[in-house]
Amino acid sequence: MALLETTKLSKSFGGLRAVSDLDIAIEPGTIHGLIGPNGSGKSTFFNLVTGVYQSDPGSRIVFDGTEITNMPSHEVGALGIARTFQLLRLFSDMTVLQNLMVGYHTHVSYSILTAIFDRGAVQRYDARTTEEMMDLLEFIGLADYAEMPASELSGGQRRLLALGRAMAMRPKLLMLDEPAAGLSPVNVEHFLAIVMKLKEKFGLTILIVEHILKVVMETCDTVTVLDYGEKIGEGTPNEVKDDHAVIEAYLGQEMDDDEVRAILRT
Amino acid sequence: MTATKNRLIAAGLAASLVAGMATVAAAGEIRVGITMRMISENGQKYGQMVMDEIDMINKAGGINGNTINATLLNDECKSDKGVANATKLIFQEKVHLLIGSTCSSVSLPIVDVTAKAEVPQIIPHSTNAKITQKGSAWVFRVPVSGRYYAGVNAKYVGENIGKKIAYLCAADAASQNDCEAMQSQMKSQHGVEPAYAAQVQEKEVDFRTHMQKIKTANVDGIMIAALAETMARALTQSYEAGIPASVRRIGSSSASNSPVPSIAGDAAKGVFFAAAYAAADRRPIARLFNEMVRKRYNINAPDHDFSQAYDLIRIVELALGRADLKLDSGSLAADRTAIRDAIASVENYQGLASGPISFCAAPTPQCRDGNRTAVLIAYTKGGENYVTEVLARVTMPADFGL
Amino acid sequence: MTVATAIVRPFTQAVGKLSAVHRLAPWLLVYLLLLPLPYVLSGLFNDYYVYLANRICIFILLTVGLNIVKGFCGQVTIGHVGLYAIGAVSSALVSLHLGAPFWVSFPIGVLVAGVAGIIVGLPSVRLEGAYLALATLGLGESVRIMIAVTPLFGSSTGLIGIPTPEIGGFVFDSFERYYYLLITATMIGIYLSFSILRSATGRAFMAIREDTIAASVHGINVPQYKLLAFVISALYAGAAGALFAHMPPGYIHHNNFTIIEMVTLLLMVVLGGIGHIWGGVIGAIIVTIIYDQTLEFYFYQPLLFGLSMVILVMFMPRGIGGVIDRYFVTRRFIGAREGKTDGAP
Repeated sequence: MALLETTKLSKSFGGLRAVSDLDIAIEPGTIHGLIGPNGSGKSTFFNLVTGVYQSDPGSRIVFDGTEITNMPSHEVGALGIARTFQLLRLFSDMTVLQNLMVGYHTHVSYSILTAIFDRGAVQRYDARTTEEMMDLLEFIGLADYAEMPASELSGGQRRLLALGRAMAMRPKLLMLDEPAAGLSPVNVEHFLAIVMKLKEKFGLTILIVEHILKVVMETCDTVTVLDYGEKIGEGTPNEVKDDHAVIEAYLGQEMDDDEVRAILRT
Repeated sequence: MTATKNRLIAAGLAASLVAGMATVAAAGEIRVGITMRMISENGQKYGQMVMDEIDMINKAGGINGNTINATLLNDECKSDKGVANATKLIFQEKVHLLIGSTCSSVSLPIVDVTAKAEVPQIIPHSTNAKITQKGSAWVFRVPVSGRYYAGVNAKYVGENIGKKIAYLCAADAASQNDCEAMQSQMKSQHGVEPAYAAQVQEKEVDFRTHMQKIKTANVDGIMIAALAETMARALTQSYEAGIPASVRRIGSSSASNSPVPSIAGDAAKGVFFAAAYAAADRRPIARLFNEMVRKRYNINAPDHDFSQAYDLIRIVELALGRADLKLDSGSLAADRTAIRDAIASVENYQGLASGPISFCAAPTPQCRDGNRTAVLIAYTKGGENYVTEVLARVTMPADFGL
Repeated sequence: MTVATAIVRPFTQAVGKLSAVHRLAPWLLVYLLLLPLPYVLSGLFNDYYVYLANRICIFILLTVGLNIVKGFCGQVTIGHVGLYAIGAVSSALVSLHLGAPFWVSFPIGVLVAGVAGIIVGLPSVRLEGAYLALATLGLGESVRIMIAVTPLFGSSTGLIGIPTPEIGGFVFDSFERYYYLLITATMIGIYLSFSILRSATGRAFMAIREDTIAASVHGINVPQYKLLAFVISALYAGAAGALFAHMPPGYIHHNNFTIIEMVTLLLMVVLGGIGHIWGGVIGAIIVTIIYDQTLEFYFYQPLLFGLSMVILVMFMPRGIGGVIDRYFVTRRFIGAREGKTDGAP
């Protein structure tokens, strides 16, 4: 059974159909890529799944056996879907460690009353959580910056922090929205290596939206191609790479297929 | 470099703090603290008048050779700030006498502060009856207390106009208050019920039905309790309905506002209201005062804010002159008591106020509400350039309204 | 910087050592040190300074509450004085009309304000920024106007003779005595705000302030936490109000709760450091002292406060607390660069 499955998922903004009758199934344990030109509905898809947008009537999203269509974001998060944002949306004025602690929020077991009246219990609990989060920071290589405000980090470190914050949710499904955007090739490699290690360690399923096709082609098990909110192709990277419709959508018709393949390979 | 600078700033701050805190009591100096509402332009001006008058006393040689050192603070008509000011003046400035406040909502809590600290307090302009009912031995009130005002109209109307009175009461709080006070006073003073009584909207425009009914009721007077514009409309319609001028129109407290004569025009003629001071007062003292305020502060018709502040300063001058003051470092409590007793001994002071002001020693409202006489002011001509006259002076018994 | 280090380091080290004994030890020590303050103040200066200390305590309770909703949760509210008024009036009414002692009327006042906090907070579910500010301003002003026109709530006369608290024959009827009540409430208030803000709840508030969508995606029920922040801040305002109402001379009036008071509170929080855990405390102390020192220049006071607000927002948006934070961050940054993490709190 698929971990995440959407049926006839649609979303219109006024007259514009950003996502249209989309059926996507993400198998557990895989890395699923989502590609398509700008405005093809990739980010909208993310926002629909994570409850940031409300989908149109008739849409259906099922995650791990639970229907999550139009479920509020925080409940989706609690079920085990974590995501990053294209523009990161870090909690800039909070420290690196605090960012992760927020990610851990759904697992915190003490109530507000405990927080108010039993500071000792909170301190003990938070100390354990902190240790756990420090391990995670160690893993992604930000442990030295734990007490630093997120705003002080470099671009590459911020992407890692966004990843760490999502991982602090202990998700089953990790959705990465253009994680490599703005990174140097070396940093992309570094980042992907960490993602792969995390996947190993926590048995993650990953959905990745990416513009840099090389990333998708090298890491994904399955790739879905969107154009104007519709699915125009799906399969292994190799299958998709040779699909005429995909090439057309991506690069227009003027180019020769061989030329396109050459670009895709680099 | 920066460290030195920091230290310098810190030292400077500390020095200025200490300087601000240490008020050295100079002998031969009567310290007076004043807390008033100093936010409006008028407030500024009568605050200025109080300070100017004190200056003039000092320039003329002070009081028995002692100068008055006055500190004026603004309470913005807010009780918390007033209490802070009073506390500061009493404990830090160590004043011998506290003047304030202009607002009842500030004088009410300050009475407790002065009573506890045993500092004489004299009030320039707060009418709330409860201020003197708290039983403080340290408080004196120059203006007419609200409890007298409530009965003034009823007394005059019952004795001079008649007892069959119709009432039109608008729904705003002030008018409701005035209306209820008048009705209950007519009952308790003269034993009569309203001949006709009706509630109208706060901004009612059509009074014709009421006026027709009042006309047939054949009354001696009509009390119109409403805000200025509403009152003006009702006055005009009362003449349109054919109620003759012989039926006196009685205004609520807002009748003193200028929109009443300017909107109602001729219909405002004869309408009267109670006040503590009339700029139309023909006595020489009042005419001189009006002239002084006009020259010094560019105000044409000073209201009771000015007259009461002026009276207060004269009373303070009188009392300080009588008090036996030592004014040295150990005599603060004794001097405060002496000043209190001196104010309590003021009797029959004839100033600008509507009537003579007398205090006495007992900590009762009878003793501490100095002025029991209100003046009734009537319009003799309506319109933009309206004219008023003093219709009557009404003195109430000392224990009235208790 | 070296001077600051010399002052701060022994202090943080001492706090660290005390905390090791018991987490409440530093709090208890500060409380015990502050208890005899009235005697120090009236001995060194005079009783007026005791009164000022009391005012500061009430302001601290208000600003600590305001800082939770505004500084930590990022919800712009101008309704805080309305809640302050509700706490004051309800506690006063319960003790005036039902004859209940302070120890009953106080919690009632706090609770009523807390419930009102839900109402003031409700617009925050849909509105943000200036619109939320306007909505809360409207609610706060409505409260004041309700008080101003309702005879039961005091209308133009105000509520007079609100009884002074007493416990076992000890009457809190002077500035000195009332101070014990206030300093206790204030210390507890500050301590509880620490407890709340340094827990998952506090982190959730900050996350909402930083990025609502990201907070929500990371499992935070945003509307619920916003309301919670409003209610907690309302409880603080209610406590401050009730303590203000019963403070000798026991008098409240609707003009104690105007927009001017609200602006003063905002100035305190902004100056002290919005979102800084000590921000409200620092701001309340400094603004009250400056206000007192400039009392005789009342004509220029609004100008002074208005200008300082503008200058603060432009040049020191994070206030004094922000400067302190900055100092610690720089130290940590240097520590991280040198490969060691400095154990600053």
